[in-house]
Amino acid sequence: MTDSPAPSPATSQSGIPWRSIAERYALVVLVVGLFVLFALLPASGAVFTSPQNLRALVSNQGVPLLIAVAAVFPLAAGYFDFSVGAVAASSSVVTAAALADFSTPLPIAVALGVLFGMITGTVLGLLIAYAGVNPFISTLGVATLLGGVIFAYTGGLRISAGIPTELTDIGSRDWLGVPRVIVVAGAVALAAWWILSQTVFGRRLYAVGSNARATHLLGVNVRRTQLLAFVASGTIAGLGGVLLLARNGGATSDNGMMMLFPALTAVLLSTIVIHVGRPSVPGVVIAILFIAVTVSGLTLVGTPPWVNQVFNGAALLLAVAFARLAGLRATRGRKKAAG
Amino acid sequence: MIDPTPGDPELVLRVTRLSKTYATRVVTGVDWALRPGRVHALLGGNGSGKSTLLKMIAGVVSPDPGGVIEIGGVHHASESYGPSAAAGGRLRFVHQDLGLVDDLSIADNFALATRYPRTRLGAVDDRALVRHVRAQLERRGLDLDPRLPVGLLRPTERTLVAIARAFDGVEAEPAILVLDEPTASLPVDEVAHLFDTIRELRGLGHSIAFVSHRLGEVAEIADDVTILRDGAVVGEGEISEFPEARIVELIAGHPPEGARARRPSGQTVAAPALSLRAFGAGPLHDLGLDVHAGEIVGVAGLVGSGRSSLLRGIFGDLPATGTVSVAGRVLPHAGTGAAVRAGIAFVPEDRQRDAAYPERPVWENLSAAILARYRRFGRLSTRRERADAPSAMARFRVRAPAASVPLAALSGGNQQKVILARWLRADPRVLLLDEPTQGVDAVARDEIHELVRDAAERGTAVLVVSSDLEELEQLSHRVIVLEGGRLVDDLRGDDVTREAITHAMHETGA
Repeated sequence: MTDSPAPSPATSQSGIPWRSIAERYALVVLVVGLFVLFALLPASGAVFTSPQNLRALVSNQGVPLLIAVAAVFPLAAGYFDFSVGAVAASSSVVTAAALADFSTPLPIAVALGVLFGMITGTVLGLLIAYAGVNPFISTLGVATLLGGVIFAYTGGLRISAGIPTELTDIGSRDWLGVPRVIVVAGAVALAAWWILSQTVFGRRLYAVGSNARATHLLGVNVRRTQLLAFVASGTIAGLGGVLLLARNGGATSDNGMMMLFPALTAVLLSTIVIHVGRPSVPGVVIAILFIAVTVSGLTLVGTPPWVNQVFNGAALLLAVAFARLAGLRATRGRKKAAG
Repeated sequence: MIDPTPGDPELVLRVTRLSKTYATRVVTGVDWALRPGRVHALLGGNGSGKSTLLKMIAGVVSPDPGGVIEIGGVHHASESYGPSAAAGGRLRFVHQDLGLVDDLSIADNFALATRYPRTRLGAVDDRALVRHVRAQLERRGLDLDPRLPVGLLRPTERTLVAIARAFDGVEAEPAILVLDEPTASLPVDEVAHLFDTIRELRGLGHSIAFVSHRLGEVAEIADDVTILRDGAVVGEGEISEFPEARIVELIAGHPPEGARARRPSGQTVAAPALSLRAFGAGPLHDLGLDVHAGEIVGVAGLVGSGRSSLLRGIFGDLPATGTVSVAGRVLPHAGTGAAVRAGIAFVPEDRQRDAAYPERPVWENLSAAILARYRRFGRLSTRRERADAPSAMARFRVRAPAASVPLAALSGGNQQKVILARWLRADPRVLLLDEPTQGVDAVARDEIHELVRDAAERGTAVLVVSSDLEELEQLSHRVIVLEGGRLVDDLRGDDVTREAITHAMHETGA
């Protein structure tokens, strides 16, 4: 076999791809390292490792996890979805309004909130996949529009009266010692992971993101796949909104943009974990933990509040830069092979 | 013959010992000269090296060291030659795609290539630009409003606008115009206007070199011809010395003894595996064709003849009219999904754009067309996909360090074998191949041909489009020739030779 190509850059001479392993699990190591650091620092240590703090640290991540998982589906197909935060915010308003203003039974109110997210996702999917509207503009446009509608309905006030305790219990109480909010968010994330990594649909979704034209020429209905990615995104973001209502005990009156950026950061960071170059649910879980541990630790060390915002922005930029570098390396390998 | 004395002031452009080596040598020590006030046709089959030669002269492809490019008496060593030297020598190029932006106006297209005139305040001076462009168009006898978007122009007008733009800035002194297949995208009846312009430019003392596949046109317009084959000059001189038959013979060369297609034995009685009736797609109209199981049918035709539209139309990637039947059952007009379900496979021409998942591992690329086989209770078994990959790689002669490396890490030939294997694993009834061995080395090319023949022997009907006539000769049981959207010839048996195909492609209609 004379023309066997050069081994892939990730494979070392010994056959064990150490470099690839280091690259894939760098963020996991970083999370553990940060955790140990904040646990040992005298300024934060005792409080940081207290059960109350750890419980809050984890419980607070249920809603961001769902919103980030929602954004994984469109990004797998190659599109950023800037609407996930706004969809979650408006779904929480829909459910809260159904409960408080229309006295709807709880299961129906929850279903309405999720359905609202699903419909928004369907509309976006139709616009982007079938009408060919630029995804950046349509998702940002829908986000802005929903933010305005929320303000118009709530007048900038929280809807907090009339939310039944069955719902708020999910946000604050435990099942067998595990916060319920984490059980619900974890179950949804597990289902999303299964769809993305264990089914033909998931494989096709990533294939569309990798090369839409090639996937079309394999006989796959690319538009329907893209549409379903946005339906999944809207539905999961809707679930996130209902969970947000349960956690806060009231519907937010903000436009959801404050929830969008952590989700975007997490999804982008997920592309440099485990499956380098593509977003994934396990990657999102690690990225969310990374952000949560850092923000909590920094707060306890006594850094001023603006540091959090700077950290979020810096993490977003770093995630983009790393993802770009990983992409560049893949392209360079391709050029080498073509030349 | 052209006098080969160096430094001859009579020659406006001369290249000496010009070569280009990529993986193999594609241009071999070419000497070529253009005389002033002459129209010079550069002829040759696909892969003969004429495009590479022109690109080297344009300065966009760097030649191997050791050659000389001489423009207007100025010598340039091949290693230090670049686009600026070409422009300095008043060399003007009009490439095959013309380099025009359809959405912009003629005036904007001029300004993009040169510069925008400015007012004293630094804003773009639109009136001055339009005035200037109108004058340039009039010089070429074009009565067009410079504010018209280029997209609204007829094909000939577009070519003439591109030529007028190339001559923007050329005053009285003679220039050299190089046209790469200027007539390829033009309807036959519109070519006359272009030729008037070429004659007029020649009358003004300019020299024109052009590439064409239409030999009828060459006889009509050219003063001199040069014929290339396999990267070397095989014939040059005045057009009067080269009757069409001699040109065809020189382009095709002599067929070597060697691999020929194994003819299918016996007559097929079953319904054809693929059947087209009143089929139309792109430029194609009212086409009828039957391909039987086990048969390999080659498709020959020039650029624009509709050969790629034929495959894309059958596969549902292009809107088509008429009927396509697979094994006697009519295919619904329902896109690529219906075609794949009916058992049609399509290996497109542009692998990177249309087929590859370059950053994904080889095993994933290999199983992309047969995912349903690995699905149990809704779950995709990645483990079984990976486990099957090594045997598939061995069967389809894919050489890679492991099934887990990204496709992009493989050589072009091995990547192409992966794409072909992806479809052959699905045991298709009909296999459509568009330029299956383009840019592939000789060994991989033979292996790909062997894989296609094996598939045909197992009963797949194969339709293969290629501009490589040697490939068609070696692979096909039958060759159909397309021109201007019509089937103009159906060569069978002993007629499947490069000479006959070349003849059929160039003779008819032109």
